Amino acid sequence: MAKTYDVLIIGSGAAGGMAAWVLARGGADCLMLDAGPLIDYDKQRVMKAVSELPYRGFGKPDRFPHITQASEFDANMWADEQENPYTYPKDDPYYWVRIRAVGGRTLRWGRASWRLSDYEFKCRDHDGEGANWPLSYKEIAPFYDRVEPMFHVMGRNEGLPQMPDGKILADESPDSESVKRFRAACQKRGIPHTKPRRATGTLASSYNLLLPQALDTGKLTLTANAVVREITVDPGTGLANGAIFIDRRSKREYQVKARTVVLGASTLESVRILLNSTSARFPKGLANSSGLLGHYLFDQFYVKNTVVAIVPEARGGKGGRGLMGGGGYVPKFRNIQRNEKKFLRGYAWDFGSGMTPSPRYLPLFGEELLREMAEVQGAGFSLTTMGEVLPKKENFARINPEARDHWGIPSLHITHQYGDNEFAMARDAMETASQLCHDAGFQVLAAHSQMVPPGESIHEIGGCRMGADPKASVLNAWNQSHDVKNLFVVDGSCFVSGGVQNPTLTILALSMRAGEYILDQRRKGNL
Amino acid sequence: MKRRRLLQSIAALPAVPAAAQSYASSPAAAGEMPKLGEAAADAVAAAVPRFFTTDQLSALRRLAGLMVPKSGDRPGAVEAGAAEFLDFLISQSNAPRQQLYRDGLDRLNAGKPFAERTAAEARALLKPLHEKWTYHPPADPFARFLREAKDDLLQATMNSREFAQAMSRRSRSAAGLGAYWLPFD
Repeated sequence: MAKTYDVLIIGSGAAGGMAAWVLARGGADCLMLDAGPLIDYDKQRVMKAVSELPYRGFGKPDRFPHITQASEFDANMWADEQENPYTYPKDDPYYWVRIRAVGGRTLRWGRASWRLSDYEFKCRDHDGEGANWPLSYKEIAPFYDRVEPMFHVMGRNEGLPQMPDGKILADESPDSESVKRFRAACQKRGIPHTKPRRATGTLASSYNLLLPQALDTGKLTLTANAVVREITVDPGTGLANGAIFIDRRSKREYQVKARTVVLGASTLESVRILLNSTSARFPKGLANSSGLLGHYLFDQFYVKNTVVAIVPEARGGKGGRGLMGGGGYVPKFRNIQRNEKKFLRGYAWDFGSGMTPSPRYLPLFGEELLREMAEVQGAGFSLTTMGEVLPKKENFARINPEARDHWGIPSLHITHQYGDNEFAMARDAMETASQLCHDAGFQVLAAHSQMVPPGESIHEIGGCRMGADPKASVLNAWNQSHDVKNLFVVDGSCFVSGGVQNPTLTILALSMRAGEYILDQRRKGNL
Repeated sequence: MKRRRLLQSIAALPAVPAAAQSYASSPAAAGEMPKLGEAAADAVAAAVPRFFTTDQLSALRRLAGLMVPKSGDRPGAVEAGAAEFLDFLISQSNAPRQQLYRDGLDRLNAGKPFAERTAAEARALLKPLHEKWTYHPPADPFARFLREAKDDLLQATMNSREFAQAMSRRSRSAAGLGAYWLPFD
């Protein structure tokens, strides 16, 4: 007879991993389920030359139509799109990028670790658009303070209100001359700039930084290959009492019991599980009395390689480490004062120096192309835009009963479009970045303002947004369902607004905060 | 496999067949599992083209030579079998990509086989490649084909066994090594 756990945690990435780290160390008897396998890094990877791969590095054609990040080397790591289908409106593709393995997408994240500020938490107070979060920066700051050292975040504190300082390792590395030139061009126009701020270490994942310590307590049991179909509810009390999952390999069905359920399966998977958790008591899905479950889905738009340029002095192999290399970050600088621009909110840039521009930017072929490629080797400078997306109710995910996955579980139909505000912002980013590159004396090879399709940034957030009003939100300020008090959703789906900052650090901080709240409520007998 | 051993094996494969390596090695201790060397199919055999017509493949081979010519000991697209590789890759691609390639190669052959064009004639046909890069592909399918073929032929050349062998003789860092993820159970 299976036992009843104190807490069932669904998902093992940043959200689930942190919840387990807090709850198991706090003495709760936890079971963690993950839809993917538990990988063994030593056995799962082998070194190969690209020429040895069957498709010479191109990858099997059309295996991943929506995962542009997949290469032939790591193709087996990404969620297979045939096994895990989903749909979207015909002319509005959505790129849903998933990893199904213990550790989730923290196995492959970009590691950029910026705090949100009250420009996000209290965004409506600032410019009248959207909704405020039901918490402030001051309330979450102590959790950022603890998460950053755990993930060995390195960067530079600049004292900017839109980019709060952190408890981070100081990056004292010198900038190359090309980076200094770009930063000076920013400085001249009053645009802030800083070093990158990233989690460091060989692997900065839930897999190595959270789960080992949680498992060491003896209070956490981890079950991999468990594809959760739905959260179950006690029809008498209306409380969550466990989940039904399907073994990934055998397709055998299981039921598990728990007193509290913590959902951290990732933004869209959590929405999907809740919408699939229908019952007589919750016919529209669990935690959906507001009717807003799945709505206000958004992300951050990316304009990849907004500008690609050459540093002329570095041509012909003259770059060297003093001139080329390194990179930096320009935090949001538009609309820091109210209504500075014709669009709301702002964007940030990641920039890098020292790469070789892709031959596609060189309008040449044959010997001329090969000569020019040699000439510009290591002389490139490029910049990518990350822009804030306004959350809209009409951007949403719903269940599509026709699209079932390999395990027979209904999948999502995802509707997400960018609007005029995002397009205007992207154009401004391209024009301003091009000007800065010119100011820095770089030769601009290419500039564009074309956003990648929604979802491709892998920063999808919203869908279970927090709020003080149960009629206008899904979760309260503690990531707790307004409707089902022993159900918590601790991943990016809780976001109310997202700024331009990569969301993982905030997910970690919020999950830590929610985990401690659960422990406190358990002690008080409220859960 | 360690990086140095892998590079050595890439360089050594064509000269020393796997079977010879096995004979040359000393007998393993009883109970120890041997590590057998092997040669990839395209190191020992020529791939059979299946997708393009003979005329289309001839045009693609000529295009390959023009896009990525041989230079010194660095192989070009012809030496790397890039056209033959693309015959395989495009055969497995979606229908629009297949059509783009077929139409593009037919256009190159229009009037006179592209393989028989003089250098000047051939270069004149490839004029769209001198257009400045734009984010959106050109509206003209032929220009779009040339842009895709340029990228594909470069990648197929630089990721080839022939290229890796030539480059590994020059530099330890040129073999395009990466961590390959095995399929999950």
